[in-house]
Amino acid sequence: MLALIEIKRRKLQFGLVTGVVALISYLIIMVTGLGLGLNEQAGTGLLSLNGDHLAYASNANLSVIRSRLTEEHVADIQAAPGVQQGTPVGYIAVVVEYAPDESNTAATLGVIPGSFAEPAVVEGRQLSAPDEVLVDRAWVRLAETGIGETLPLPVGFETRDFTVVGVVDQGYFFFQPTVYVSLEDWQGLAYQGDLAGRPAASIVLLQGDGIDSMRGEGWEVVTKQEGFRNIEGVAAQQSTVNALRYMGLLIGTLVIGVFFYVITLQKVSLLGILKAIGAPGTFLVTQGLLQVFLVALSGALISVVLALVTEATLLSSDTVPIAFNTRALVTSSGFVVIGGMVGAALSVRQVATIDPIIAMQQQ
Amino acid sequence: MGILTLRDVSKSFGDGPHRVDAVRGVSLNIGRGEMVSLVGPSGSGKSTLLAMVGGLLTPTSGEVLVDGADVAQFGGRERTRYRRDRVGFVFQGSNMVPFLTARENLLLVAQFGGADKGALKRRADELLEELELMPVANQLATQLSGGERQRVAIARALMRDPVLILVDEPTASLNTELGERVVDALAAEVSGRNKACLMVTHDERMAARADRLIEFRDGRILNDDRLDEGAASG
Ligand SMILES: Nc1ncnc2c1ncn2[C@@H]1O[C@H](COP(=O)(O)OP(=O)(O)OP(=O)(O)O)[C@@H](O)[C@H]1O
Ligand SMILES: [Mg+2]
Repeated sequence: MLALIEIKRRKLQFGLVTGVVALISYLIIMVTGLGLGLNEQAGTGLLSLNGDHLAYASNANLSVIRSRLTEEHVADIQAAPGVQQGTPVGYIAVVVEYAPDESNTAATLGVIPGSFAEPAVVEGRQLSAPDEVLVDRAWVRLAETGIGETLPLPVGFETRDFTVVGVVDQGYFFFQPTVYVSLEDWQGLAYQGDLAGRPAASIVLLQGDGIDSMRGEGWEVVTKQEGFRNIEGVAAQQSTVNALRYMGLLIGTLVIGVFFYVITLQKVSLLGILKAIGAPGTFLVTQGLLQVFLVALSGALISVVLALVTEATLLSSDTVPIAFNTRALVTSSGFVVIGGMVGAALSVRQVATIDPIIAMQQQ
Repeated sequence: MGILTLRDVSKSFGDGPHRVDAVRGVSLNIGRGEMVSLVGPSGSGKSTLLAMVGGLLTPTSGEVLVDGADVAQFGGRERTRYRRDRVGFVFQGSNMVPFLTARENLLLVAQFGGADKGALKRRADELLEELELMPVANQLATQLSGGERQRVAIARALMRDPVLILVDEPTASLNTELGERVVDALAAEVSGRNKACLMVTHDERMAARADRLIEFRDGRILNDDRLDEGAASG
């Protein structure tokens, strides 16, 4: 096979071309990954909650931060038609001084232990007593607080020591790692003073059918995705992230297309020789496209490996949010390969129309 | 009717003030078994004429008939087959595929389909032997000397046993003795068979070994002489 022999005998040239493809593809993937990472930090903690709908206070404008529900609201929501299960969830952001002079905000969620709102631990055990806390992996990476250690959470002007009993994998909420305490402990963290009149929860996590957009006295229900989109700043952020992604894909694909177009055009004299001695057009096109396919595909694969290595490195440093999903990786690799092949196909087509003798003279 | 007939063939390049009339109304008939030399000053249109006969350039006007069919009228597929099966072209500057060895350059034509690969392999060995290329058969084209490259180009042209052998300056890098042997090999290839060879050369001694000598000037035939002392006969 001519295409393969050429790659084998011109390792340096093809290596460099593959390297360039890999770098461009890497760039596309990184833009996508950084965008997705930012998105994740905005609220995977909410998305990974184990329900399909959320009930907010109707005056909260779908903001978890501003939403406050009373006992009556919660009972009312739980009893609403179509609701199969409902459990209250509280939210408060607290600053945790996890080491002398080292502090970070934690998105603290209050859940009823044993309810479906309590995330499953990946390590340790579930909540069973007061003053216990589950911490997200992101928190462990950040503060290195392990199981059995204490986490001082602020209550009023004091702090109260919570014992870490389990580690969960729920992600971030509002760009803060999540931690989980019992709903009662959350009430203590969120509100001091008079017991009466304290909100019972921020939102209610629901499972049910046909409850989307349901409203009651002082509350409203939306899907979890709708709730995610309404997290402050997420909508604006998502459109920025998407614009970056699509621009990255578009420009990257174009650059690779033009790159292969030019590279193939440089082979015009070789293609002229082959045509002159009777190579059929289909032979030239298949060989040309096969070569580009192999180079673009290897470039794309190298970039995926690079991206995964970067992800692991960045994740362990925990300063840059980054995330990939298979779809994003497959999409960008697909665009790279297709862009390259289209570029090559266009130039092969152009070369095919030149008289071979003239093509041969264009060295 | 011979193997090749040209009827009032012309070729111009470019337009307006940049127009070059490379070939002007050439008519010619070449019969079976003929070895024909084409001589003429540089720029007189020899390569252009050869390219039109080989189906590599379309004439501006006129007919190029090979076995009665007009090459200029061929469609894409017919033209490819014509180049592949019926013409053996040795280009001026012996164009090799640089990243292939001498033998691979010969076997390249086996990848275009339409022939028995085993037979082509044997043919390649035969030709490498005949043109004294065996010692360099596995060297990359870029590592061959000019003369070796020219002989590889000739061997490649002969691979598919073409009816028409078109040769542009085959002996420029060869010493007299080797050049004569190459020309004689070409003459022997066509002599007495349903084949013909048209060879462009600057070397009078080489030209004189053909059966017929055509002199070209300014895109026209100046002289067309039958030679008695052709290579095939003596
Ligand atoms: N592709 C082209 N475009 C424009 N002009 C061309 C082209 N090919 C050839 N010519 C012109 O046509 C004329 C004949 O060229 P050709 O190559 O046929 O000459 P030649 O007899 O083979 O010369 P040489 O002995 O130097 O090889 C020249 O004036 C050349 O400049
Ligand atoms: Mg010439």
